[in-house]
Amino acid sequence: MTVPDPHRLLVPVDDSVTVRNTVAYAIDQAETLRRDGDAPVELHFVVVPGTRAVDPDAPEELGAATDLLDRVAVWTDEDFGGDPPEGLSVTLEVVGADRYLFSPGDYADVLLEYAADRDIGRAILDPEYNPGGAAPMLRPLEIELARNGLEVEEAPVEREARQTVLARAATLPKYLSVFAASYLFYLLLSPWKPLDFFTGAITATLVSALLAPIAFSKQPSITRVPVQLVRMTIYVPYLLWQIALANLHIAKVVLHPSLPIDPTVVRYRAAVWGDAPVTTLANSITLTPGTLTISVSDRAFNVHSLTDNSRDDLEAGGLERAVRFVFYGREAAAIASPGERDDCEEVTYDG
Amino acid sequence: MTPLEWAIVALAAVGAFFGGVAAVGIVRLPDIYTRAHAASKSDTLGAVLALAAVALAIQTDLSTIKAVFLLLFMFLTNPTAAHAIARAAEDQGIRPWAAENREGDP
Amino acid sequence: MVEFETALLAVAGAFVVFAVVALYRVFAGPTTFDRIIAVNVVGTNTVIAIALVAGAFDQSVFLDIALVYALLNFLLSIAFSKFTVERGGVL
Repeated sequence: MTVPDPHRLLVPVDDSVTVRNTVAYAIDQAETLRRDGDAPVELHFVVVPGTRAVDPDAPEELGAATDLLDRVAVWTDEDFGGDPPEGLSVTLEVVGADRYLFSPGDYADVLLEYAADRDIGRAILDPEYNPGGAAPMLRPLEIELARNGLEVEEAPVEREARQTVLARAATLPKYLSVFAASYLFYLLLSPWKPLDFFTGAITATLVSALLAPIAFSKQPSITRVPVQLVRMTIYVPYLLWQIALANLHIAKVVLHPSLPIDPTVVRYRAAVWGDAPVTTLANSITLTPGTLTISVSDRAFNVHSLTDNSRDDLEAGGLERAVRFVFYGREAAAIASPGERDDCEEVTYDG
Repeated sequence: MTPLEWAIVALAAVGAFFGGVAAVGIVRLPDIYTRAHAASKSDTLGAVLALAAVALAIQTDLSTIKAVFLLLFMFLTNPTAAHAIARAAEDQGIRPWAAENREGDP
Repeated sequence: MVEFETALLAVAGAFVVFAVVALYRVFAGPTTFDRIIAVNVVGTNTVIAIALVAGAFDQSVFLDIALVYALLNFLLSIAFSKFTVERGGVL
């Protein structure tokens, strides 16, 4: 192994709003390096897909990673005006796809390994780089990379206003699901005269035409959704029981003359993935004993708990397990509880 | 009153009890986050029980479905709204009340 | 029959009283968010009261009103909490 070479640039990319500008900046830097020195310059664009051990969507995740690399390839062609010039090579790679990545440290490990294998001495980071989705990723990653001898630089690109992609390409299943849902809803509220079936069909067509592109973040799966609905019917009674307990608890605390509360905020990384499971879990946490989800950024929940008891319940992770059972099936329910995973920490507000 | 009517009134009354807990909680609890607890949990259960009573009390089928729908809607939106408000409060940097700063004010 | 309707109306009345109690928080604050969450509770109680009146008089038309009011109530909370956050994206 030789000394890390600052003429070899590592650029981790991710589907962020500033990724295009970061790529442009990296290419610009590489060009400058090539012109100034005579050493060959290497430019490595790497994607770390957020692969999840039990997530059935992992293949899509990998597809998204290669998609991104394809786009990066197009951009490099654009910026170089064709193939990269002599003395400058561009490498595109997906790394760490076989790993279970959770913390910024895991991502740093993967990137460092890649860098060490290829004697890379310098890294350019996208200021919006956040592959796992779990906040905050950039700072810890920067520190970790710098500590291992890499020259780290944040690409000076504009942070645009955060915008999430709202409209996505609509497909037939999306149109059909929206149509079915709105038609059923219309019929539910109508007195079931023949005319209503007709006007309902027109309304539902309009609604699905307008809203199908924004109604789902993911393709609804015909096979998986019914199974999840069946499991949901097992979950709901459990949830109702928990809610009943929660309310007795709250009633006791609120009506107690001395108001025995000891509120704290716990940061909690739940082992569930995707919009629907996370929403279900967040709302379930809110509805059950003494806990209230304050904010969720992908998998990191900030949970406000009213009393000590409720905190212990959260760490035992009964709800989390139940939600996993609903969305992923029985084998996924067996993951260790948040307490055992050490995924709960108390948030302290100083001052 | 028939037994069914007794059951309906009992459901509604228990619902009212939890509605009362929510109102008292909103007034008594010390900060926005703890108040959100009362608003999300107790009020939701109060709403669900009262609406279940309405669903049973209303005679026509279609209206029963409507009442059940209203119930489900409450069940989904109430915690979501409480969560959105709590999150907005957190974004604005409002710190949670902790037991240490318990003073004269309950 | 009369007693049953009266009982339901009494419960509806109780919810109205609780809404008035929660109004204290709307008035007292101290932060905007306390007010919003109290308004949300007032709205929820109103919806329940309307629904209970619908049950008492067996008037299903009132249920439609309750449904629309519930939608508005939810939208109001979301809109308020969204507008107070500068970078947007509460949900």
